[in-house]
Amino acid sequence: MMAGRDGLYEGVAGTYGSALERLARAYEADVEARRDLLQEIHFALWRSFENFDSRCSLRTWTYRVAHNVAASHVQADRRARSRRLVSIDEVDIADDRLGVEAVSDRHMALERLTTMIQELKPLDRQVVLLFLEGVDATGIGEVTGLSVGNVSTKIHRIKNVLMRRFQAGGHYGQ
Amino acid sequence: MANEQIPDDFDKLWQNQPQESPGVSLDDLRRKMDRFKRRIFWRNIREYVAGAIVVAGYSYYAWRFSGLLLRFGSGLTIAGALYVMYQLHRRGSAEPAPADLGRSTYVEFHRSELVRQRDALRTVWSWYLLPFVPGLAVFLAGLARSAMNTAQVVGHPLSALQVAGFVTGSASFVVVVFVGVWMLNRWSVTKLQAQIDELDVMARDSGVGKN
Repeated sequence: MMAGRDGLYEGVAGTYGSALERLARAYEADVEARRDLLQEIHFALWRSFENFDSRCSLRTWTYRVAHNVAASHVQADRRARSRRLVSIDEVDIADDRLGVEAVSDRHMALERLTTMIQELKPLDRQVVLLFLEGVDATGIGEVTGLSVGNVSTKIHRIKNVLMRRFQAGGHYGQ
Repeated sequence: MANEQIPDDFDKLWQNQPQESPGVSLDDLRRKMDRFKRRIFWRNIREYVAGAIVVAGYSYYAWRFSGLLLRFGSGLTIAGALYVMYQLHRRGSAEPAPADLGRSTYVEFHRSELVRQRDALRTVWSWYLLPFVPGLAVFLAGLARSAMNTAQVVGHPLSALQVAGFVTGSASFVVVVFVGVWMLNRWSVTKLQAQIDELDVMARDSGVGKN
């Protein structure tokens, strides 16, 4: 069983390691605290695989563990609790603080995107993150517990926010 | 200006950001497991030592004082402390089981955590505070009686008013502490319940069943 746990963990760490790091970045702005959070996520994953029962896919299991640990981190963090987090429906489509100039610089765009995600309530943060990681609405529903219809509505809103906030930025992929 | 390509680009922007961490090895995790076990061990030790101090203190009172009420009050307080220690042991770790993290969606997991915290706070007075009340009440009555008797022996009888003041002052202090803890818990329960209700509304709108 222990070898199974280690094997499962190593496979998942290899496949989803960088996605988990991005997830930690979206939940914790402080570098030191982020490192601790990432280790907590890996630790929880490793322990959880002792009881992995294949009732859901490894991807769903991994994201559930990671997001549940990260959301608990937000819940327990005094700094985070003192900040007002917003739902995706409350996010200003055009953020006045940022101005309306084109966000053409890749680094700046990423910074703004990360900041926007960090201001979201944990559930909406999960939806946005999974969407950005390329998980479809059904997969997002399996991780979060939201219906596919509800996820689709949120994704529509997210796309709208991204398009309007970063309207003239062009392509940021590479 | 807006076009449907932009969200796709944000996928890439997000996924291609540079990594900042060297990763976590199995050895790191095993060392963390050792630290985790040590933390749980010392937390349990702290709880038992605190209970042992109460038991030792009131055992000393029961042996040292001759008054029946003082001895009986000490015995009741010891019984209360043992009961609280048993409850702490029975309720175990405050952390969820690792498998629950993977079996539950966010809505299920978060709701069950909030319900667990709410119920723990809602019932804490009955298993953490109430067991000490009979012992402390009898012990205080014993102290008052003992003070009157001692004063009479040395030829300086305390007035009934002085004794009543002593008992009322001591009892008031205990009551203020207990009521303060109860009110704080109640406030926290209300806040947790509001979060549970919010999740329930969202789950209902989303067609998700409760746990």
